[in-house]
Formats: sequence, structure tokens, C-alpha cells
Amino acid sequence: MGKKVLVVDDDPDVRLFNVTVLEENGYTPLVATNGEEGKNLAKQEKPDLVILDVLMPRESGIRLYRELKTDKNLKHIPIIMLSGIAEKSFLRSQKVLAEFGDTPVPEPEAYLEKPVEAEELAATIKKIIG
Amino acid sequence: MNRILLVDDEPDIVRVLGISLRADGYQVRTASGGEEALAIFARETPELVITDIKMPGMNGIEVLREVKNINAETEVIIITGHGDIDSAIEALQYGASDFINKPVRDKQLAIALQRAQEKIHIKQQLREYTTSLEQKVAAATREIRRRSNFQGKLIRSSNDGIVATDEDLKIVIYNPGAERIFGYPHHSVVHRMQVQDLYTPQIADLIVTGVTQASGLQEFPWQETSILSENGDIIPVRFSGSILHEKGQKMGSVAFFQDLREIKRLERELLKAERLAAVGQTVAGLAHGLKNILHGLKGGSYLVDLGIKKDDTEKLKSGWDMIKRNIGRTSEMVMDLLTYSKEREPEFEDCFPNEIAAEVAALLAEKARESRVGIKKSLDPSIPQVSMDPRIIHTALLNLVTNAIDACLFDEDTGKEWQVVVATTLEDDNTIRFDVSDNGVGMSKNVRDRLFTSFFSTKGHRGTGLGLMVTRKLVEEHGGRIDVASSPGKGTTFTIHLPFEAAGEKKTTSRKIKKR
Repeated sequence: MGKKVLVVDDDPDVRLFNVTVLEENGYTPLVATNGEEGKNLAKQEKPDLVILDVLMPRESGIRLYRELKTDKNLKHIPIIMLSGIAEKSFLRSQKVLAEFGDTPVPEPEAYLEKPVEAEELAATIKKIIG
Repeated sequence: MNRILLVDDEPDIVRVLGISLRADGYQVRTASGGEEALAIFARETPELVITDIKMPGMNGIEVLREVKNINAETEVIIITGHGDIDSAIEALQYGASDFINKPVRDKQLAIALQRAQEKIHIKQQLREYTTSLEQKVAAATREIRRRSNFQGKLIRSSNDGIVATDEDLKIVIYNPGAERIFGYPHHSVVHRMQVQDLYTPQIADLIVTGVTQASGLQEFPWQETSILSENGDIIPVRFSGSILHEKGQKMGSVAFFQDLREIKRLERELLKAERLAAVGQTVAGLAHGLKNILHGLKGGSYLVDLGIKKDDTEKLKSGWDMIKRNIGRTSEMVMDLLTYSKEREPEFEDCFPNEIAAEVAALLAEKARESRVGIKKSLDPSIPQVSMDPRIIHTALLNLVTNAIDACLFDEDTGKEWQVVVATTLEDDNTIRFDVSDNGVGMSKNVRDRLFTSFFSTKGHRGTGLGLMVTRKLVEEHGGRIDVASSPGKGTTFTIHLPFEAAGEKKTTSRKIKKR
């Protein structure tokens, strides 16, 4: 049984792709289709890694990211952001939220902009959790 | 009056009268003859002269004439003896104020003096009145001139062209602003041209009718039109004017012109800049959309590769599905782009708008159910069969209802019972109104402002940022308009007003509708 990786994405194509890459590389995938579901699964399953999209219905990746990174039980879980949104836009949105009074959060362990090659994704995961 | 010059050749009379007058409080100078009297008069100009008429040398008449010559205001009382009637008449002609007969009695003298005093007083008052009146007239004249100058300056310095005519339609005011617009120099217009010579027939007609006919319009609100300048240029202007009245009589017309050339030029430049910005946005947006699709295609081909390598039909199949889905997304995006970039005339045909709305609701029922959103229809049964472009209604409603469902899907308030309502209303005898409302996430003002711009999307992989842009374009091509009302957390309503024609009429185009 490999390490558990939680995939949170509303796009079925991305989910299938991520899940396949994970399985092919010996990890155990967990799947959530929106932020709300993702948060619950993260609490329940305590995954070793989260792969997270930015724009999703029912709680966006921006919010979920903050919640994971500020929860004392979950903040140690590394996160790979995988998104069509440019990294700097994501970081800016987090900075803006911090300026409006939210707790500042660290940058994600990795940020991948779509499109991503399977090899690149696999290498990034391996680098972070082995 | 208290200075008196007393002239008589008889020393006794001078002495007695002098004493009497001094006792009454007058300053009295005396002379025993005409020459001496005039010398004193020239030096001291007393207000009153009392002179004997018969004197050796210069007589009283001559003294009177000289005194009146020097100062016409001086009152002169003549002392006459018996038989001096002729001289007295002559003295009257030269302006003597009064006569007293010899021998001079105190009472008679007192009356003559009082009369003289009154005369002097009245004259003085008259002089004061006159002076004050003259001053007032001068001040009023200055004020009138100042105001008229001020108004003249106002008219001259106005940036707007101002042209006024008299009641005969002859141009009497033509300011530099008008000169700049029309091009004709001032001297060739004022008192030389009639309105018909300067204005386009359209404007001239308004003015001529207004001035000459009781039923003509008297006020012309601002409107955009154009004028023909001296060198034949058509110049876009804003025009307003009115017929001038005075005491119920028409007295002419005034018209104001604003030069729109600079504004139009700026508008064109802005449009150009916007177009360039739109091109930039289009490229960026297109790249973003393509990135998502590429990701799907890469994912798909990865699965297909795996499937082949491992002889795994299931992976092969799901990879191939992923590729097909993303080919589908590519073609949707390309079609939207084409729809947006191509001018298209609506094709009117007989249809039932309610049926189209119901069809769209049915088409999206499955998607709505998956997203836990209810779809409700509220269709106006009085909408008859009409002539419209059914494809436009279909595409527009499909886009709006899809958006409405997504707005619920993106709503983080999971306690809500989400609902999308599609409503139709017969607004008047040539417009149908379509409302698509949801109680989903709503929009901030920032989002609302950017709604109809290209590639603006808040929907992640679901949105290309083209739907609303395409919808608005189609609605406008159909001669209609689209509005939006939204409040964050409460929901959004999109409203489309589309004009229609009666069913069975010949096919027509939107152009015709717009003109109506």
C-alpha cells in the first residue's frame, strides 16, 4: 500500500490523469471533486500529499489551501498546486487575503501550471514525498 | 442767498436801503453807477442785484444785460420810477426778476426779496435734480453698456457656436465659435445670410417653422446632427435651439452648436485602443483556454500510451474519451470565437419562444440535477407564435441557464436550496422579455463590470470567457439588449429584451427593426 495522495479537482479529465499517474507510480490516490469534499477527506484520511486545483466550485482551491495550511493537524501535509492559473496570480491572491487580515500562509511545496507532462508530475511528487 | 449788490446813483437811497437790508441780515455791497457795479459783480458774483433803472452813464438795463451775460442765474430786481413802463418791459425781456417802484417801501422790497429768494432756491433745486438725474442716467447707461458688453463677451467667448436670427430669419449674431464650426467669416454671415443659407435643410426647417408658424416647435432639445461647412465638410455637431419671444411676440431664434469632431476623433481612438487591448486579451485568454485543453489532451494521450503499453483496453478507452472530450471543447471554443468574430444577420422565422425556453430547460435538466439545482419555468401563456431568430433565443438562453447553474455550483453557502428560474413575458406588442434568475453565488461589482469582456471567466476549466460575450453580440444583432442584476451571495438575474415581428410576415433583418 503506497503513500496516500489526495487529488482535489472538479475537472474529471484532470482527476483521471492525476489518478492514473499516481497509480502508475505506486501511490494510493484519494479523489475529491470540490473544495468542501477535499477538506473533509483531508481531515479523515490524513493524506501524505495533496494535489490541488485553484478554481473549483463549492469552495475554491485558494480557500482550501489556506484552511489546510492553517489547520495545526494538517499544515504539515505538502501541497502541489496544479492549475491553469499562473503561479504569480495564485501567490498574489494569497497575499491579498493576508493583507485583509487572514493569517499569512507559506508558499506551496510545488506549483505546476497546466499543461503538465505525466513525467513532470510524477517527478515532482517523488521529490516531495519519495 | 445773502449777498446783494445795490446800485443807485442817488447816495441817500443807497444808504437807506443798505441799512435796511443789512438789518435784515444781508451782506450788502453798493455802487453808485453801472461801471462800478459791474466791476464789483465780476469780482464777487452776488446772487442778487438791485439796480436803479435811470442812472447817468451805464443805465440799469445795461447793468441787467451784462449781469445776465456774466451769470444768467443771478436774480436782478429793477427799481423803477413813474413813467418807466417802456424800460420796465425791456427789462423783463432781458430777464429781470422783479420791479419795485420808487419810492422804495420796505414791505414792497421784502416781498420782492422773498420772491427772488424763492426763485433762486427753486433754481438751485432744479440744478441739483438735473445733476443727480444726469448722474443716474450716466450710471444706468454705464451699467447697460457693461451688461451688454458682458453678454457680448459671453457670446463671443463661448466655445459653442451661437447663431441668432431676427424675426425675418436674418442672422444677427454669429460668434467666433460658430465661425470655427461653419467656416464662413463673420462679416459674410451677419446681416447677409438667412438661416437657409447657413443651416442644413433639416435644421433650417425647424427654425423656419418655429418662427413662422404658430404650431411649430419652440424648443429643440440637444440632438446629434451634422452641418455643412463653407468648404463642404460634413461636420458632426450637437445642436439645440429655441424660438425667442418678447411679450408674446416671436422675435427671432437662437441656435447652439457643439463641435463633435474632436470628441468623435477621441471616440475613434478609444475604440482603436480598446480593439488593440481586446486583441491582447484575446491572445491571453485564448492561451489560457488552450492550456486547459492541452492538459486534457496530454492526459488523454498519456492514458492511451499506457493502455497500448499494458494492453489495457480500459485505460485505452478512457484516454481516448479524454482526447475526444477535449477535441469537443476545442471545437466549442472555436465555434464561439467564430460566432463572436463574424457579423451575422438574424434569420427571422415563425417560432414559439416559450417552446424554445422549455427546450433549453429540458436540455439542461440533467446537468442541473447533478449539481443539486432545481429548474423552474414561468412562461407567459399570452406569447403567441412570432417571427424571430429561434437560434439566437436558443443559444442565448442555453448560455444564460448554463451560467445560472454554474453560479449555484460555485456557491459556498451549501445550506441553500438552489433554483434557476427561466421566465418569459410579453412586454409590449413588439418585445418579448426573457429572465434567467438564480439564487447562487452572485457577483461583485468588479465581476459585473467585466462580464461581457472577452475571456473573462470565474469558472475555471468550465469557462472559456466567451459565453456572455457571444450572447450579448447575438442579442444586439437581433436588435435587443441584455441587462444584469446581481448581489453577492443572493443570486443573479439576466434579462434579455428581444423585438419580434408578427408571425407569417416576410423574412426581414434586424436592420429594419433597429430603424423602427
